[in-house]
Amino acid sequence: MQNYIWFILLISCLFSMSQEPTYLVLNHFDQEIPEAEKSLIKSFNNSKFEFNESIKNIFLDLDDFDNPASSHMDIIKELGAEHKVNFILLNKIEHNDDRFVLDGLLFNTRSGGLIHRRKIDLKQYLNGQINELIMWVGNTLGVQQKDWQENRESILFSDPEEIEYEKTPMGAAIRSLIVPGWGQAYSNKKVSSKVWFGVEASLSLAFILSYYNYDISVTNFLKNSNSYNTTDDEKLVSKYRSEAESDWTNHIKYSRLAIALASATGTGWVSNSIHAWVFGPRPYTNIYQEWGSSSKLEEG
Amino acid sequence: MKIINDYKILGIIVFIAFSCKLYKKEFDNPVDYKANSDLGINAPALVFYPKTQTINVNETLIVESVIVFHEDSIQAFSGAHLRVHFPNQLIKLDTIVPGLFITDTSQSNPLFTYTFDGNNMIDIYTYFLSESKYFIEGTGHIADIIFTALEGGVDSLYYDLDYCEIINVYDDEISILGKRGAEVKID
Repeated sequence: MQNYIWFILLISCLFSMSQEPTYLVLNHFDQEIPEAEKSLIKSFNNSKFEFNESIKNIFLDLDDFDNPASSHMDIIKELGAEHKVNFILLNKIEHNDDRFVLDGLLFNTRSGGLIHRRKIDLKQYLNGQINELIMWVGNTLGVQQKDWQENRESILFSDPEEIEYEKTPMGAAIRSLIVPGWGQAYSNKKVSSKVWFGVEASLSLAFILSYYNYDISVTNFLKNSNSYNTTDDEKLVSKYRSEAESDWTNHIKYSRLAIALASATGTGWVSNSIHAWVFGPRPYTNIYQEWGSSSKLEEG
Repeated sequence: MKIINDYKILGIIVFIAFSCKLYKKEFDNPVDYKANSDLGINAPALVFYPKTQTINVNETLIVESVIVFHEDSIQAFSGAHLRVHFPNQLIKLDTIVPGLFITDTSQSNPLFTYTFDGNNMIDIYTYFLSESKYFIEGTGHIADIIFTALEGGVDSLYYDLDYCEIINVYDDEISILGKRGAEVKID
């Protein structure tokens, strides 16, 4: 993978005189992004730019530190003093299939600390990397334009009701209604899928065994009752009566057990379906972060 | 769609639950002293087996006359006199034969005879007169009373306990505490 480091010196807004803050903007892209320079100049035409590619591979190991906010204070201060800027803005863009991650970090050169960080994971859209970079830089500078936001929103459906998702909670619920655990497996929840399937399979098996025993008890009860009624031998009468009474007791016991297990199985089955629906696959709700006008200090 | 499926599943569960039919425990064999006791008929008792029969006109009706003792009874009897009334408008007496209890089972040949008043009353007499076997214990089949069905209807046979008697080897009477009749239905 080829790394590109651009160095952009952005010296305040031209109209804002010398009291306005100045920024050193460092861009690190894992792929070449054409027209990045031109887009920045065009978007911030009230600012003055100087480009330099002399700074390579700094701050790339930021997340390896326990406290990224204060991990590079000395070098921040040095760069600030060297380029006479108030802030350093580091933008990293990494691509992953059809998505890209923009990791933006804003350092204060006076303290050397990280004062703002924003990480955005987005599906690629037309000129998405440039647009997101411009929005992030614009947010830092306090400049926003409506067409940037509209460009981003172009990746969203105009009518969310018409979105057809490949996997839905209802699909998960119906699958779980057919086979317990299927809906969870469909939602890639392997553990709960196995648990639900195991519980329902056990309950169902216990129910089937109870019902089977009930059926055997009933068959034997009817058979012994019939034998009892059709014999006049006192010993056989006593024997068949004793066996029939035992079968009758068993048929009551297994009947109650079967009903209890059937209820538990049914309740579990429906619960499993509801669980599959509640925890079913849903689209990401954080496709993009809402654009705020004020900066927030990142913790850590 | 889901609601329909839910109802289907619930329907299956309800069907299975209610398919676990519970049977009544009904034991009513006249030879069973417990069943008789449940009906308030205490042993020893004179009963007919089976308790009810359905036959067609001109068919043969066989009714067993049975004496029922308690399972734990050690009372032995050496002779019996049974008086039976039957509905002569429905059935006609054919013959009476000794039951297995007092013949094959005991490997003995007691005195066995009967009288018929020509109307609707039968008297059955049986006595153990042998030197080797002069008494018998327990529940058993005294006689088979064989009738022929004359016409359709429903009626019953019954013992007349005022004239029925069981005696032991010392000619002492054994109290008969209960009786059960038999229903005859002729189609």
